[in-house]
Amino acid sequence: MKRSIIGNQAVAYGALAAGVDVASGYPGTPSSEALTELLHFSQNNNPSPYVEWSVNEKVAFEIATGAAWAGKRALVTMKMSGANVAADSILSVAYSGTKGGLVLYIADDPGVEAGMPEQDTRLFAQWAGLPVLEPADPGRVYELTRYAFELSEKCELPVILRSVTSVAHAKQEVEGEYTYKPLGRKPEFEKNIFRYTKAGSAICIAQHEALLDRLAVVERTVRDTGINMMVESGDRNGLFLVAAGALIPYVREALSSWDHQNLSTLFLESVYPLDKELAGKMFEAAETILVLEELEPFVEMQLRSEASRLGWNGSILGKLDGLLPRVGKYSQEVIGRGLKTLASGMAGHSAATSRPVVSSERSDPGNEESAAEQPVAAELSVKHPITFCAGCPHRGTFLAVNRALKKIGLNQDNTVVTGDIGCTILGMNPPFHTCWTEVSMGSSIGLAQGFYWAGIENPVIATIGDSTFFHAGIPPLVNAVQHGANLLVIILDNGWTSMTGFQVNPGTSEQFQAKGARRVDIEGIVRGMGVENLQVIGPFDQEQSIEAIIKALQQEGVKVIISQAECALTVARREKRTLIYQIDSQKCTFCRSCLRETGCPALYVTANGKKSKHGQVMAIDPQACTGCGLCYTCCKFDAIHEQKLGG
Amino acid sequence: MYQSIVMTGLGGQGIITLANLISEYASENGLKVSLFNAKGMAQRGGRVTSEIRLSNDPELDFGARISAGKADILIGMEIGETINSLSFLKEGGAVILLNYAYIPTTMVLKKEPYPSFEQLTELYSGKTKELFAVKEPKHPYNMFLLGVFTAVAPAIDAGLSFYSKQSVEEGIAKKLKRGLEENLQTFNGGYAYGQSLLQHV
Ligand code: SF4
Ligand code: SF4
Repeated sequence: MKRSIIGNQAVAYGALAAGVDVASGYPGTPSSEALTELLHFSQNNNPSPYVEWSVNEKVAFEIATGAAWAGKRALVTMKMSGANVAADSILSVAYSGTKGGLVLYIADDPGVEAGMPEQDTRLFAQWAGLPVLEPADPGRVYELTRYAFELSEKCELPVILRSVTSVAHAKQEVEGEYTYKPLGRKPEFEKNIFRYTKAGSAICIAQHEALLDRLAVVERTVRDTGINMMVESGDRNGLFLVAAGALIPYVREALSSWDHQNLSTLFLESVYPLDKELAGKMFEAAETILVLEELEPFVEMQLRSEASRLGWNGSILGKLDGLLPRVGKYSQEVIGRGLKTLASGMAGHSAATSRPVVSSERSDPGNEESAAEQPVAAELSVKHPITFCAGCPHRGTFLAVNRALKKIGLNQDNTVVTGDIGCTILGMNPPFHTCWTEVSMGSSIGLAQGFYWAGIENPVIATIGDSTFFHAGIPPLVNAVQHGANLLVIILDNGWTSMTGFQVNPGTSEQFQAKGARRVDIEGIVRGMGVENLQVIGPFDQEQSIEAIIKALQQEGVKVIISQAECALTVARREKRTLIYQIDSQKCTFCRSCLRETGCPALYVTANGKKSKHGQVMAIDPQACTGCGLCYTCCKFDAIHEQKLGG
Repeated sequence: MYQSIVMTGLGGQGIITLANLISEYASENGLKVSLFNAKGMAQRGGRVTSEIRLSNDPELDFGARISAGKADILIGMEIGETINSLSFLKEGGAVILLNYAYIPTTMVLKKEPYPSFEQLTELYSGKTKELFAVKEPKHPYNMFLLGVFTAVAPAIDAGLSFYSKQSVEEGIAKKLKRGLEENLQTFNGGYAYGQSLLQHV
């Protein structure tokens, strides 16, 4: 059967076809839809695998590992940054290996569509000693997900399935089975401390050796599958083009209109460990090799080291000689530049120039985003800063923070407010300009303690969302309580993991938890840590919120405010609005306080005012307004009023 | 036939729906289709782009993303974001421009000038003659643009002739359940508008 699906959904259906028993993950763009699809499937089908959004990537990985060690098939999904969180366990489990198939789906983001570093998971995999499959398009994602379970079982190693945004979010027709085929294995976990503990150096050393042996098995096993394909041109001109993963279709595209020499090609979808036998065959026929891959020179480094081991003296073109960028996503222009250099008499290049040289200039990023800003349009170019949705409760919290600071003679520019990952970080954007930092999940609370101990005089405030708090905010808060840092932590609790597409988290209301799952209460956790100065506020009640923040800022020690109101979008999906706000054009003086303070996207400028000088007044889009009332608190001229909606 | 279509605008304008309709319809007509939606910040008013690639040759390989200078057709739904997307369009490619601006709060407050529709069309006319300026669009804009696109697509490339008024209407009826009547009306308005534009080219 054929269906149009995105790469992430192909992970889900590939895993179902492989009979996956347990799937876990933590949301993160561009990986989230893989588990979302599996969750959706499991809620609507029987039999179905066990699927959960875990509290963080480390826990998700451990759950998958437990299932796989019991002989079942398990999948865990995350974005590249999540691998850092799970790293401690991943590196240890690599030593133990696995029994049942264990597949880690990790999505990288070259070109940064979603924010965070352009880290290359392939380097992480090499560090951990785990094999990497890198599918070229959604169809291959389906095939290779399925195969990854087989490979994992054959080699007794977790397998990393790595994709990038351009594949994870590409929607194409994928031939697949779209059904679940449970394997019906009986769970069995063998008691074996030599394999499943790290008790003593002898055990660890033996496991390290076993890991290397298993990697050698991977190399041989993959070789027999034809996943990596070498095609030699009839010309025997010694020109080879190597392309990895997501770039393969783009290279094929470029070659289909290529009217120069015939090139031999080596297309790799299994990039670690390098198939040395295949590489050796290429070196026998090649004089010049061009390596095309996004981000780090990962395949290139492996090829260079193998070339030097074999004493091959042709030349390798790639990133290490400065020809191609290590930054951004590759455009056709970058691929074309590589091809032209390969064809333009680089053949016969001496071995000396093939040695890595550090390029003095940084090569242009191949990022289309940056190419999109052409000089011609530069003076016209505009940026639409992203902001909180209309009716977002976080708007109320940041408004209250700014107002409270002002009331006690401080402001956003002299009071450090650390921010955290998720929608809450939009507090750094206009009109709030409240947050100063964004580092990684949970880091707002740790950083804030550092600022305090550094001796910063004004109060320090940490802001963090509910899901981020559960994920990695609890240990740093425990730390602050233990050491007695003077600190205000505001937990913006909207009940969902919203930024990545409204996934449930431990704090989500009981009615939306999966069957058999329950809600975990943030207030109870915070009290349990021994935080005495705890207040719960509703951010749309500005008076109460401002008062609570001022009170907390005047107390000593660790203070926590939980600012609670559900995400405006999840509410809007479920409930009809009963009330909105409107602006009386007769009363509006066009002072724009409402817009300046709230930046609510439902507010706009219109031209039918009487009172203001230029005939302009503010207005509220009745379709977008949720009736939160925040703009109402800004108007000194009584121009904003409630309006009941019919029905 | 081989076409790369880029659509650009802001979250909330219905770009993704439009891109889905255009690509699903091509797929039903036996074309090889790839669609990439960059919509990370759509819900929070951020930039959205859709990249559609179509070919009637099933053997032709291509990646999902469209590089700078490689878009055959560009559909711009918001003035500022369409300006930012200029480099997508190949020299002489076809462009459909919508007269709609969303001025960011910061610019409203500072009273900074926002680019006008005239500046937008002037900018693009430096790159192509095949320019369809939708000066007076009707809501919902995505349906109106689908009408314009259906009218002008066969003129841009005969390979796109399967986008005919009647068949796209049927396609809409199959996909959209809510507000069908209103959407069809807007689509028809857009189609008539597109036809009038063709007469000027
Ligand atoms: S998705 Fe929800 S939490 Fe995020 S900005 Fe919108 S309303 Fe706020
Ligand atoms: S009440 Fe005001 S601030 Fe709240 S959603 Fe409506 S327009 Fe925006």
